[in-house]
Amino acid sequence: MTDLARQPKAGEDERIALARQGDVPAFEALYREHVGRVYGLCLRMAGEPQAAEDLTQDTFVNAWRSLPGYEGRSSLATWLHRIAVNAVLAKRRSPVGRNEISLTDDSGEQMEFAAEPDMDEATPIDLERAIAALPPGARDIVVLHGIYGYSHEEAATMLGLAVGTCKAQLHRARNLMRGRMRMEATT
Amino acid sequence: MTTLRFTGRNRDQDPLLAQAAELPKDVAPAHDLWPGVRARLDEVPRQGRSFGWPMAIAAGVVAAAVSALLTWGLMREPAPATGPLAGTVAAEPDFVPVNYGSNSALGAEQLAARDELLVQFRRKLDRLSPQTREAVIANLAVIQRAADEIDAALAQDPASGLLNELLVGAYRQELQLYSKVVTTNGDTTRRT
Repeated sequence: MTDLARQPKAGEDERIALARQGDVPAFEALYREHVGRVYGLCLRMAGEPQAAEDLTQDTFVNAWRSLPGYEGRSSLATWLHRIAVNAVLAKRRSPVGRNEISLTDDSGEQMEFAAEPDMDEATPIDLERAIAALPPGARDIVVLHGIYGYSHEEAATMLGLAVGTCKAQLHRARNLMRGRMRMEATT
Repeated sequence: MTTLRFTGRNRDQDPLLAQAAELPKDVAPAHDLWPGVRARLDEVPRQGRSFGWPMAIAAGVVAAAVSALLTWGLMREPAPATGPLAGTVAAEPDFVPVNYGSNSALGAEQLAARDELLVQFRRKLDRLSPQTREAVIANLAVIQRAADEIDAALAQDPASGLLNELLVGAYRQELQLYSKVVTTNGDTTRRT
């Protein structure tokens, strides 16, 4: 399950309890433990480092505001990811956050192509590049399900989609990535 | 170059997903983001209120309905050329943009876009008839109430996709309201 993917460090419950009471050093410790995982998700969903940095900061500020209401029903890592996903989706839905181009293919099917994300020269492998080139909906499910291990049901809840839609997006993502990686392999 | 085969159907069988699962979960930002987070912590109130979801959802619906009514009013209302009588002081309704609260996932970029539209809106607002201006401000008050209730519910459940959707909906309502006022050609009597 998702929460097993990342075991909390020793003493996290105590740090959460302190941070809930307003202890900034305890919250900073939680930030240090989780920032890489939050930033990783934001970077992969947003596709752009500057946006990912802003979204990561927004996520932790929102978490600080809301930590007194955190009841521990999910792990802190999952809770932070849900806040991060909402931040990404809010940005994407806003008038200034949309940057994808929509086209219609020969059969009239709606096709979406993400604007080419800023590709870091240091991007380690072509798989990351193929994920980054996916349209947002397909990318989201690959990131949440494929990389971070959330189930279809969990990912659907986080994204506000039906489970069937998530599965369809994953199928679509696989096809697109296959095409992308074949294309790169031949060049 | 990584060579992958795409024959599997689920996470365990699909080599693509298996390889995706091996990607690093943690990615270090290029620089330390903590100072930026820390600088904002003192500015935000922490939650403590408890509102029910039904209220937030109802407020969102009300905001949508009232905004639609305003649109209808802006489109059909003739422009009354009446300004305040000489020697009287017009009651200036207070205009305040919607505050989305401390739990909003709206970022600075979204609010900056709103502020750009606000510049034009303020100009146009001053030229509306008093009745229409009051209707606009009343609409904003409804959106504000919706935003307040959604924000309070978000304080209880910040990871709720539905609540965040509602909040973005309220934000869009606000932008649409400004946009309608800015673009409407009727009812632009300048008060004296």
